[in-house]
Amino acid sequence: MIKLENVTKTYNKTVRAVDDISFEVKGGEIVGFIGPNGSGKTTTMKMITGIIKADVGKITVNGFNVRKEPLKAKESIGYIADSPDMFLRLKGTEFLDLIGDIYHVPTDKRQQRITSLAERFELSEALSSPMMSYSHGMRQKIMVVAALMHDPSVWILDEPMVGLDPKSAFELKQMMREHAKAGNTVFFSTHVLEVAEKLCDKVIIIKKGHLLFDGKLEELEAQNQTGSLEEIFLELTEK
Amino acid sequence: MSIYFKLVKALIASVEPTVQEKDRKKVFTRVMTFIAVFGIMLPMAFFVGIIIYWLTVQLMPSGAGQNAAELFLQLLSVFSFIFGLNVIFSVFYFSGDIENLLPLPLRPFQIIASKFTAALISESVMEFILIIAVFAGYIIASGVPFYAWLIAVFATLTLPIVPLAYCAVICMLVMLLTGFIKNKDTVNKLTGFLTFAVVIGLVAAVSTSGGLDAEHLVTALSDPHNALLGFLNAIFPHVHLVTSAMVNNTAVNLLFYLGINVLAVALFLLIAEAIYLPTAADVSRSASGRKTDLKKSMSVLRQHRPCVTYLKKEFRLLFRTPAYFMNCVLINLIWPLFLYLVYVLQGKTNFLESFIDNIHHGREETVLLFVLGVSAVSVLVTAANCIASSAITREGKHFAFMKYIPLSYMAQLNVKALVSILISGVGMIVYVIAAALYLGLGIKLTLLCVVISLLSVVFTTYFGIFMDSVNPKLVWDSELNALRGNYNIFFNMAIIMLLEALTCAGAYLAFCFTSIGALLLIVLLVIFLMVLVAVSYLLCTTKAVQNLDKLTG
Repeated sequence: MIKLENVTKTYNKTVRAVDDISFEVKGGEIVGFIGPNGSGKTTTMKMITGIIKADVGKITVNGFNVRKEPLKAKESIGYIADSPDMFLRLKGTEFLDLIGDIYHVPTDKRQQRITSLAERFELSEALSSPMMSYSHGMRQKIMVVAALMHDPSVWILDEPMVGLDPKSAFELKQMMREHAKAGNTVFFSTHVLEVAEKLCDKVIIIKKGHLLFDGKLEELEAQNQTGSLEEIFLELTEK
Repeated sequence: MSIYFKLVKALIASVEPTVQEKDRKKVFTRVMTFIAVFGIMLPMAFFVGIIIYWLTVQLMPSGAGQNAAELFLQLLSVFSFIFGLNVIFSVFYFSGDIENLLPLPLRPFQIIASKFTAALISESVMEFILIIAVFAGYIIASGVPFYAWLIAVFATLTLPIVPLAYCAVICMLVMLLTGFIKNKDTVNKLTGFLTFAVVIGLVAAVSTSGGLDAEHLVTALSDPHNALLGFLNAIFPHVHLVTSAMVNNTAVNLLFYLGINVLAVALFLLIAEAIYLPTAADVSRSASGRKTDLKKSMSVLRQHRPCVTYLKKEFRLLFRTPAYFMNCVLINLIWPLFLYLVYVLQGKTNFLESFIDNIHHGREETVLLFVLGVSAVSVLVTAANCIASSAITREGKHFAFMKYIPLSYMAQLNVKALVSILISGVGMIVYVIAAALYLGLGIKLTLLCVVISLLSVVFTTYFGIFMDSVNPKLVWDSELNALRGNYNIFFNMAIIMLLEALTCAGAYLAFCFTSIGALLLIVLLVIFLMVLVAVSYLLCTTKAVQNLDKLTG
């Protein structure tokens, strides 16, 4: 469960990237976070994961206050950053071993989990190679494996489909559904509105740091009788 | 032709750093460039010019006036060739632009010629200053006529062409015939080791020929059968031709010089047209690594404590990234070589012999100086290797990783400190023990030296990490740029060295002007270093942790 209460973040005392936002992502939900470029999606996600400190407000993950109990909050999060270019001089196995140790994943569970994820994402043959030799899509896939290896209850995924081939994107969407069905939390940002439309129980729309909408798709459609999510989104964000 | 010039301009821009930095940093970069040119390059060029002038005057009576200038230009050509490897591979193979250039309606000749020109300009700007200084020293000393200056200007701009053409052809043949260069890392390692080998070779040559004193050098250079010069002239004949053209007033030499340059470029273009484009396209396609069985991959996974695996990650990145390996790791092993080089270049001084003699006789002043030297070198090497003062900077664009993993900032900073302490400390201890054995210090004094060295390393490490945490340079486009022009490293070195200089000067002055003995001063130094370690550790684990918490990446 993720809960934000009146959270604000200002950069350089001038640019208000996130302005007094509050929302909740409950267990068992897949929530899509959508908004134009520069609307504050990544800043919000980085505040939830503890990368950026909120100026005002309270963020809790699974009941742990991100400021007061950061390590406990972080342990329950699986985070995929917006860029997969990380530690490229490490081999895939070395990177996953590092993540496994940091999240205290026992050897047998680690091997079993990586094997299963690597097979789903067709990464098996590349794991012993340096990540520098991976394509963008393969780097994104190994970030997905790393984020999910410790079986976190809260998934925070920043543009997770970017660079994934259709099969891997399909697998990830399936896994998101399975994860939410098991009572866990999935919070992800995307620019692909069709994905949000087909996958999400709820969408949160943000523009220039302000929340424009937080609710079920049906509610959004009921409020705006324009047509598709794409048309509603454009109408909302271009106002 | 205008397309060629536009391509050259675009390619040069792609070789230079492209990081969008704030105006303040741009000003800083300009100031640093100004200092580099006027504070380092120009004085160095002036010094080189004076040496060439003096040597030429000494060599003129034996009819070997041009040999000093020739040898220096030949050595410049050798270094130009070695550093050219890096530039050629960067511009021709690893700039990532070939896939964008190939679809454009350009003739292969235009791509190749513009890339060669971009490489030549990128590599030779600083070299031009040294070449003109050599010619100035040579022309003034030999009193050759005015037209020699015109030849000198022309030669300054064209001398690096032949070494670079050799270099380019060799690079292309290597890429065509072998498959071992797959990325820029291999090239960086190769050029690093070649440079190291040449420097070792030069030190060994100087050392075995009895030092680098002026008299010896003049005798060697006046020998008409000087082996080194003969060998280099066979490889780079254009150098001899252009220096001869100045002194002998012969247009024939100049024409031959021109001919060799034209021939080198023509041969390069001919070979490049045949083999460059296919090999470059192969490089951009050969991204995938070797494939391994999943079961085999899984067998290497083992659970360790988070700090142990984090430590392994830090070591792997330091040793596998050529820029870090060369600048942060290798320096810990090769610094005695620089000390030896300084000693050798001094020629016939018997400083070391008298120093050893004084140690053997137990002269307190010499023993104190040795111990202070151990502390000073430990501090200097630890600050210079910048493992600590770039610990956060090196995270660069994956700095966020430090923030979202469930491992406390203090634990992460302590692991980073341990990396610096292990790499700097182990190197220092090995050399301190070797020096102590060589000088015949007793066990107690050797142990004290080891303790002092370790304390100096630990203090410098924690202070370096604190300094880096204040304002780490997290935006860089290559690992080398993370270290180059990083003023955290510079300020850390300045502060640490000032503090160490004051400590050493204080201890030495206390020895000279009070009745405190050397041993007591050494014990006091240990206590003082312990205080510094405690203060820097506290700074790192409190202030640096707070700084890290505030950083957004």
